[in-house]
Amino acid sequence: MRPLTLKRLLWTCGGLAVLLLASVLLALKLGAVTISVTDLVVDLGRIAIGRANELPTEYRLIVFDLRLPRIFLGILVGAALSVAGASFQALLRNPLADPYVLGVSSGAALGSILAMIIAPGLALVTPIGGFLGAIATIAGVYFLGRREGQLDSTTLLLGGIISASFFSAIIMFLMTTLTGRDLRGMVFWLMGDLSTPVSAGMQWIFTVGLVAGVGAIYSTSADLNLLLTGEREATHLGVDVTRVKLVVYVSASLLTALAVSASGAIGYVGLLVPHAVRLIFGSDYRLLIPASALCGAIAIVLADTLARTIVVPTELPVGAMTAMAGAPVFIYLLRRGLR
Amino acid sequence: MAVMFLNLCGSALAGQASPPLAAAPVQRELTDEIGREVQIPQEVDRVVSLAPNLTEIVFALGDGNHLAGDTDFCDYPPEAVQKPHVGGPVNPSLEKIATLMPDLVLATKSINRRETVNALDHIGLPVYVTEDPHSVEEMIASVEHLGSALGIEKSAAVIAEDLRGRLSDLDHHLAGVAPRRVLFVVWTDPLISVGRDTFIADALRRAGGRSVVETKAEWPHVSLEEIVRLQPEFLVFASAHAGDTQHDIDALRTRPGWKSLEAIQQGNVVVVSDAINRPAPRMVAAIEHLARALHPEAFASAGTKPRKLKPQPPPAISAAVISNPRIEEACACAR
Repeated sequence: MRPLTLKRLLWTCGGLAVLLLASVLLALKLGAVTISVTDLVVDLGRIAIGRANELPTEYRLIVFDLRLPRIFLGILVGAALSVAGASFQALLRNPLADPYVLGVSSGAALGSILAMIIAPGLALVTPIGGFLGAIATIAGVYFLGRREGQLDSTTLLLGGIISASFFSAIIMFLMTTLTGRDLRGMVFWLMGDLSTPVSAGMQWIFTVGLVAGVGAIYSTSADLNLLLTGEREATHLGVDVTRVKLVVYVSASLLTALAVSASGAIGYVGLLVPHAVRLIFGSDYRLLIPASALCGAIAIVLADTLARTIVVPTELPVGAMTAMAGAPVFIYLLRRGLR
Repeated sequence: MAVMFLNLCGSALAGQASPPLAAAPVQRELTDEIGREVQIPQEVDRVVSLAPNLTEIVFALGDGNHLAGDTDFCDYPPEAVQKPHVGGPVNPSLEKIATLMPDLVLATKSINRRETVNALDHIGLPVYVTEDPHSVEEMIASVEHLGSALGIEKSAAVIAEDLRGRLSDLDHHLAGVAPRRVLFVVWTDPLISVGRDTFIADALRRAGGRSVVETKAEWPHVSLEEIVRLQPEFLVFASAHAGDTQHDIDALRTRPGWKSLEAIQQGNVVVVSDAINRPAPRMVAAIEHLARALHPEAFASAGTKPRKLKPQPPPAISAAVISNPRIEEACACAR
């Protein structure tokens, strides 16, 4: 593998950022109503100079109140899930680890369902319930995963998997015994869906959470590289393994909790994107973390664009698209990597 | 990059401070059936319906020309199919709805998702949400409520009076007749019937039947053993294509469990129009048909008819039975 230089890091991330911008423009253009690129640029200019009121109403509704916030949310969720996935794969030293392997998504889903039962009809009940459920699961699995005061990877993994199936069982029980009604939305939520607009305040919370979480994980990226060789080896090389594991566990879990509470459980992105990035750019975590964030954002923005356009005007849950598109892409990369 | 987008979103949302439908002259405030306050313009010119039964009601009220859009599942009346579609009731395209620039969006509490209603609220489109009817009378009341939401109370009152008149004629015919014990079959594999609080159970009662299934759950999975023990007098199926259903029913004659049902052995099986699955005015015609099938003797003595029944439109063909969406959704599970 080529050594990582600052120049290579910047070039790679810059290139991916350009790709992300292109994806965003494509996503803004396509949808139930197609909008020309010229109109888009002119309108973005108008918004930028604070003359949003001059826009035609339906245009403002579609592009700026529906599409742009949705794309923005997609970027946040994609980046959060991919970074969380990359981190869990390092933390658990298991290539099959993904943001949901520790039961976070099931805990979040259960939290949302309980919140919907307790306080049906409130606008923010799903994300808040989901977030609380995710946090409770993270704390619970953390204590399950401790052995002799240390965070043990295998125990943590088992604790997470057992919690996930336990919560899934409770969810199935609730969904079959309670009369359908308000739980209908749950089906979309369990598959991952970006169609529900998020308020501006929530966007700020998600952004701050994302920057903090990714920043914290990035600060440990050099240690994560060493941790991949084994915990004992890393300790000998001067890594404070306990601290690194704690930082990564908490940050990655928070990122997952944020993503799940915003969009439900979008599958495969957190598993596939870090592997794809590894196969293309190598497994140095100093590059892997930012590249995963950008690629995850691109993946979700494109998948959601497909979800919005493939069977116009009906919308598919974005989770269905990531699952359908993710697996073939992954197989291709894997075969290419083997050669 | 992220900050730039956030600023864009932020300024776009700030621009929303002036109401998006500023052109609308006078607003009136209305409480919808689930208790939400809705601001709608005095004159409702463009309506988007998010459920097949609401589309049917809008057309029945004679307001079909104001319907700007409906869902992929809106198949009755035939004109509904020609309207621009906004997607399925559960996952419509918000963008498409916004493009149609409705002054009012109609939704139901349980066919549509709460998230869709919240999202439309968020972008400033008024949504009138109907409660799930638990009886035929509540369906008729809903017709009246929608009439006043659309500003056409008069035609709503005419329709409501007609429907109530037809139902009381039925009551008159069926007065003193012992109700038939029926099993309403929503689905055969697994066997799904209706709970006692559904509008279908009420429709059965209005038609002189009584469901043998008496649970609180809306669409209960029922054990076939239990049905064999209860031995309903009639099985009732709802279908748009009577021929297909007849084929299925013939197949049941040879199946274990089903073949021990006296109703199957004696051919006491009624196939009614699937209009009975949809809380809209047309369901009254299906109830009249069912009443005649369950109690032919009560209608045979035609001399005592207090009022002539109105001619009924032919049972409509519809492609999608959306009354039991949980069937399709039952397989989704948490990761």
